[in-house]
Amino acid sequence: MLIWFLPVFLVFLMIGLPVFFGLLAAPGMLLWLNGQERDITLLYRNVYNGMDSFPLMAIPFFMLAGELMNKGGITLRLVEFSQALMGHLRGGLAHVNILSSMLFAGLSGSAVADTSALGSMLIPAMEKQGYTRRFAAAVTAASSVIGPIIPPSGIMIIYAYVMGESVAALFLAGIVPGVMVGVGLMLMVRFMADKYDLPKAQRIVNPGQSMAPVEFWFSFVVLRVNLAGLATVLAVMAASGMGFAAFSTTVTLLLFLIMMVLSHFLLLRLRGVVSSDFRIVCKKAVAPLQTPIIILGGILLGVFTPTEAAAVAVAYALLIGFFVLHSLKPGEIPGVLNRAGITSAVVLLLVGAAMAFKTVVSLSHAPEIMAEFVLTLSENPLILLFLINLLLFVVGMFLDAGPAIIILGPILGPIFTSMGVDPIHFAIIMSVNLTIGLATPPMGLVLFVAASVSKERVETIAKAILPFLAVEIAVIFLITYIPALSMTIPRWTGFAN
Amino acid sequence: MGILLAVLSPLSFVNSHLLRIGRAIGIVAVALMVVAILIQVVFRYVLNNALPWPDEAARFCMLWMTGLMAPTAFRRGGFVAIDMLGQALPRLLSSLLSLLLLIISLAVLVIAVQIGYAEVTGFGGKFATASLYVPGNVSLTEWIRVPRSWMMMSIFVGVILLTLVNIELILRNLVSTFGGTERLPALPDVDMAGAD
Repeated sequence: MLIWFLPVFLVFLMIGLPVFFGLLAAPGMLLWLNGQERDITLLYRNVYNGMDSFPLMAIPFFMLAGELMNKGGITLRLVEFSQALMGHLRGGLAHVNILSSMLFAGLSGSAVADTSALGSMLIPAMEKQGYTRRFAAAVTAASSVIGPIIPPSGIMIIYAYVMGESVAALFLAGIVPGVMVGVGLMLMVRFMADKYDLPKAQRIVNPGQSMAPVEFWFSFVVLRVNLAGLATVLAVMAASGMGFAAFSTTVTLLLFLIMMVLSHFLLLRLRGVVSSDFRIVCKKAVAPLQTPIIILGGILLGVFTPTEAAAVAVAYALLIGFFVLHSLKPGEIPGVLNRAGITSAVVLLLVGAAMAFKTVVSLSHAPEIMAEFVLTLSENPLILLFLINLLLFVVGMFLDAGPAIIILGPILGPIFTSMGVDPIHFAIIMSVNLTIGLATPPMGLVLFVAASVSKERVETIAKAILPFLAVEIAVIFLITYIPALSMTIPRWTGFAN
Repeated sequence: MGILLAVLSPLSFVNSHLLRIGRAIGIVAVALMVVAILIQVVFRYVLNNALPWPDEAARFCMLWMTGLMAPTAFRRGGFVAIDMLGQALPRLLSSLLSLLLLIISLAVLVIAVQIGYAEVTGFGGKFATASLYVPGNVSLTEWIRVPRSWMMMSIFVGVILLTLVNIELILRNLVSTFGGTERLPALPDVDMAGAD
């Protein structure tokens, strides 16, 4: 009887009831009809307890960090850096658009932020170079979905929380699929560049830039610290791998100092290889690109939890925004806090409602009943994974990734983990598939944002995006059938079994 | 129509002001959350002292942020929904459909307000939080633990605000169904960062 809440919920959703109310109204109604009025109180309690969570706090924090980074010249710095690396290729600005999305993905966990920040800058620039507007908008939208796949990722925090997985493991598992989407899109651009004769661009847009002394010394030190830190960590790992006893703090520190000197000389040698304009563009990207290093480095080394990493990212964004890049003004802060607060409030309510929904899902034995049905279709996990990808793709066409994940995760997750699919692997399949759904018509949040940024019609962009979607679908199938693609990094670092 | 507008405009006025206060407190709450977690990190690493309170204090702020800021999003149409059917229908049917949807939402909210009141005043609210204290007297000599009901109040207040907004939206829907769209007080667009 209780299982009827699922169709009721679907009807509510289809007629346009906000997901938050649907998640509560459908189970509430069925509980009431079932004479379980007391459990309705349980629904309310689960909404509250679902929101009262430390891991979830990473959502407002990452949103805040992304917003702060977005202010001022950070987007421009990333775009100029990408252009210095890839602008000279044929279809240069399209490549730049994709690479910027990949870099931006390390600062923010949202595809929408990615589209609006990069689109407003790159779509006009691409048009000026002779690309059609619909192509420019389609590349922007298609590459923006990398945002929530490469960590940090709002969607993965939500999934990890609702399904009780480790946020760190999901973050790490997203790296390779995110890079694959990016590289795949670049290959498609490369192919189209030959076919449609897409133009090259200059590597340096604004030659003769200068750098303030604070920023110069900041990037000077940070670059060396990063290189030396990486080398030290690798050396320590290699030593323990070869059976040496663990180094003492003094020895590690000494090693780090030696590495600092070595990296300084290495960088000095590299100086001569590139032009001074190229160097300055790269140096200007150091401060923004330190954010993903802090987040991932901190989580990987066990220095902080993802939530703490997010708070540190906020502090870092404030620090460089005020003192290094001078891109922030104190007057902008309340507006940024307001936007981040309102947006995360909606997400948190939704997650709370999803936790309540999840209890009813298990009370009603929905996963078991669904599993029985699913197993009548086929017992081969490979075929079932194919079917599930189809289902997710269709759902992604109509629903945003966040709500879709919290509704479907509790229902589908248990079915596949019981068939032996690793929960982290399944989480990545779901996240990547539904994230790509953000760029599919008819309901794609990213498409809508791309349309409003470019002033091009949604339908036109939806047509131009098809070749890129084909690439992304291919990536979905690759990560579905080759678990090692997503699982290697979390396994190697000990965050997954 | 006249009666509807007569009820709507004071409600709209009250909601605007309540939500503005809510957002102001919400902004402070977000800032405090960041500060609390940074204090936690700094104390653990720099001073080698794991504090008990930042975790709970930050969650306290987050719950209040949610309760006070989500109603603003609801009022400005920021709650996620699939609105394809509403867009496909002719105008009159579409506004009847959204009226129906608002009534379902209202039912959910009214029940939530009742349960919320029982929860805040009930048994669970009597417990104290684990690590949050407030001064018990003016001379600060006595400190008492914050009761859990202060934390639970956040969502209760949020549900009340959502209900007020919902009633306002129903009235707006009725006015525009009767062809008075141009006489409605303007609502600002939702200004959201996008979570996906």
